[in-house]
Amino acid sequence: MTIDWWTLGFQTVNVAVLVWLLQRFFWKPVSAMIQQRRSTVQGQLDDAAAKRKQATEALAGIAATRAGFAKEGEAIRTAAHAAASQDSTAQREQASKAAAVLEATARAAIETDRSNAEAAAARRASDLAVDIAKHLAARLDGAAVQAAFLDWLVKAIEAMPEAARRLAGAEGATLEAVSATQIAAADQARYSEAITRAFGSRPRITFRADPSLIAGLELRGANLAVSNSWRADLAQVLADLKR
Amino acid sequence: MTSPLASLALFHVGPVPITAAVIVTWAIMAVLTLGSVLVTRRLTLVPSRTQAAFELVVDTVDGQIRDTMQLKPGPYRAFVGTLFVFIFVANWSSLVPGVGPPTAKLETDAALALLVFVAVIWFGIRAGGLRGYLATFASPNPVMIPLNFIESLTRTFSLLVRLFGNVMSGVFVIGIVLSLAGFLVPIPLMALDLLTGAVQAYIFAILAMVFIAGAVSDGKPACAIPDLPNPRTTS
Repeated sequence: MTIDWWTLGFQTVNVAVLVWLLQRFFWKPVSAMIQQRRSTVQGQLDDAAAKRKQATEALAGIAATRAGFAKEGEAIRTAAHAAASQDSTAQREQASKAAAVLEATARAAIETDRSNAEAAAARRASDLAVDIAKHLAARLDGAAVQAAFLDWLVKAIEAMPEAARRLAGAEGATLEAVSATQIAAADQARYSEAITRAFGSRPRITFRADPSLIAGLELRGANLAVSNSWRADLAQVLADLKR
Repeated sequence: MTSPLASLALFHVGPVPITAAVIVTWAIMAVLTLGSVLVTRRLTLVPSRTQAAFELVVDTVDGQIRDTMQLKPGPYRAFVGTLFVFIFVANWSSLVPGVGPPTAKLETDAALALLVFVAVIWFGIRAGGLRGYLATFASPNPVMIPLNFIESLTRTFSLLVRLFGNVMSGVFVIGIVLSLAGFLVPIPLMALDLLTGAVQAYIFAILAMVFIAGAVSDGKPACAIPDLPNPRTTS
């Protein structure tokens, strides 16, 4: 058994060359393609992962936006409720105030009308009473009525306090006796006598007629005013009615 | 009568004899190179069936390198892969009538073993430098230097003998049976020879990877190449 060294050399070189050739034309291109595909797939997976991450973030953003919408809507509803409640309260208060003003105005108007009506009624009653008194006075005996009023005047003077009576009926003082009808001259002396006697002094007495008294005898002076007539009585009645 | 183990020259180019094994090897080189050019001429990201099949071959070789050497396959793919493909095709070239496999000749197997021997030294020096590579002979201790040195020669010789013995014996058996029994009788033996050829191609490539890995890993920190099998106990 021998070895052909030429063949050994040829085969060594052949295999070495084959290693280089296959490295050049097979192993390198195919492994490069595998690596390229792997890189491409990895890149696509990375892109997909990035897009998935973006989509997840976008989804989270949308969810947050939706939550914000709901929250904002709730806030708007709450604000609207508060505003409506506030407006309603303000309107109620305003209406209440207006109603109070209207009520006060109406009450005042009613009171005014009632006062006016009462005043008018009092006036009509006074006028009616004056008319009635005039008619009654016309039917009564003038002398007897005058005597009665003289008697009441004397009692009023006597009822006065002593000091006031002396001051009013001092000597030289002038007192005016006013009657509804003119008192006859003959009666004037009698009247003067009765009045001076009531004063206990001798003031000067003058007489005057005033039909507005309806009936009666009043005495007026610088320090004296004795209202003794139906007009005064009616005025007193009217004042009582107005009160 | 000439020995069947002898390589007879078909013709001479000057003083240089050209044997049948060399011619067949050239033919195999031409076929493989032409086929590679045709296959890789139109590589696409979306592979055809053919491209996918060849990518599977490359990926399988890469996987074997990763599993056996515990290293990135890039620097070793071309050498280991080409060894496997060439031995496989050479063993199966006996399917072509009138063609004897080049690996049945001692010179071809010796050339392959010699290339592995040189590759171990080359990759070992490249990985750890000359001192690093020489230091691998002192593993696990300097007493082992002579034994490791002898082992590096004997394992290369064992590569040669293993491949040559298996392939040559298959060819001999088929030839003997064919001469004694007739035309169709050696077919089962030929099928068995194909299986033996494929297995021997795989074994040769695996052993080459183990030897190279032993030289490379011994020149590097252990943590860089975890779980590396011991090539001396494996072989």
